[in-house]
Amino acid sequence: MAFDFPFVKEALTQMFKKSSCEEYPFKPKEAFPNYRGRIVFHGDRCIKCGLCEKVCAGGAIHNVLISEDEEKEVYERTFDLTSCTFCSYCSDFCSKSAIELTGDFHMTGTKHEDLLVKGQYTKVKKKPVAKAAPAAKAESCDNKAE
Amino acid sequence: MFDNLINKSAAKSPWLFHINAGSCNGCDIELVAVLTPRYDAERLGFRLAGTPRHADIVVVTGPLTAQIKDRVLRTIEQVPEPRCIVTMGSCPASGNVFKDGYTYAGPLSKYVDVDVDIAGCAAKPETVLEGLYQAAMILEQKRKDMKNKGGQI
Ligand code: SF4
Ligand code: SF4
Ligand code: SF4
Repeated sequence: MAFDFPFVKEALTQMFKKSSCEEYPFKPKEAFPNYRGRIVFHGDRCIKCGLCEKVCAGGAIHNVLISEDEEKEVYERTFDLTSCTFCSYCSDFCSKSAIELTGDFHMTGTKHEDLLVKGQYTKVKKKPVAKAAPAAKAESCDNKAE
Repeated sequence: MFDNLINKSAAKSPWLFHINAGSCNGCDIELVAVLTPRYDAERLGFRLAGTPRHADIVVVTGPLTAQIKDRVLRTIEQVPEPRCIVTMGSCPASGNVFKDGYTYAGPLSKYVDVDVDIAGCAAKPETVLEGLYQAAMILEQKRKDMKNKGGQI
């Protein structure tokens, strides 16, 4: 009699094969290339152009002024990962590559603070002398237009 | 006599109940991926329960719309204590891109105590597994606390 039970051969061979299940919790795993995970903010590169906040659909980026003196203002920028869609627009639009979406996918938390990414950046205040120069330039532009 | 055995087994195998509170389906699909053979959360003890009354961990996806808010809260109330509430994806935790919409009634933490937040849009299955593990740890602690207070589990 032909041995024709359906799937028997398949079942028997699969029994001795390696499981096709992910081994993740027992073996560490890397995210795929270009995976957009936890945000890293390089505050030293930021020039405070504000473009990242404008393009953020989730409204995940907030700034707080933490100190100010005559020369500079220091801001703290918070990326709220519970509000982020990981669209990477902020990073794509940043001309200074100050925002990076890393392959780190370990993004769980029991408190809201666990899912906030913070970084500081500085805005250097323009000196009055420096202010006069752009004004003159603008004037010359107007003249040209006329 | 069996109480100890039951308690130990229950700690090792929390049952999940999944509520879709207006999700775009992205997170739901990832949760299904976690439970099906590729990621197979069942090998770690997590199992999908058919009714909230059997569940230990409630996984909420979606931004909690005005239509579904009362139903979600009623379903969560049906889950017996000790329970653990997990928000999956950005939506239930903050509203994500829907937060300015007129149908948005969240976030979930406004109405119930959320134990674990899983970030991502949609959350990666590995992240979900991590979040569920954290939830199971919290659940075990809650059970112990309840027992110490003299409650019946
Ligand atoms: S992070 Fe980039 S886009 Fe955002 S304000 Fe700084 S320089 Fe501009
Ligand atoms: S990845 Fe998208 S949603 Fe997240 S902070 Fe950047 S722009 Fe906002
Ligand atoms: S977090 Fe993103 S993927 Fe998940 S339900 Fe919300 S919009 Fe969809």
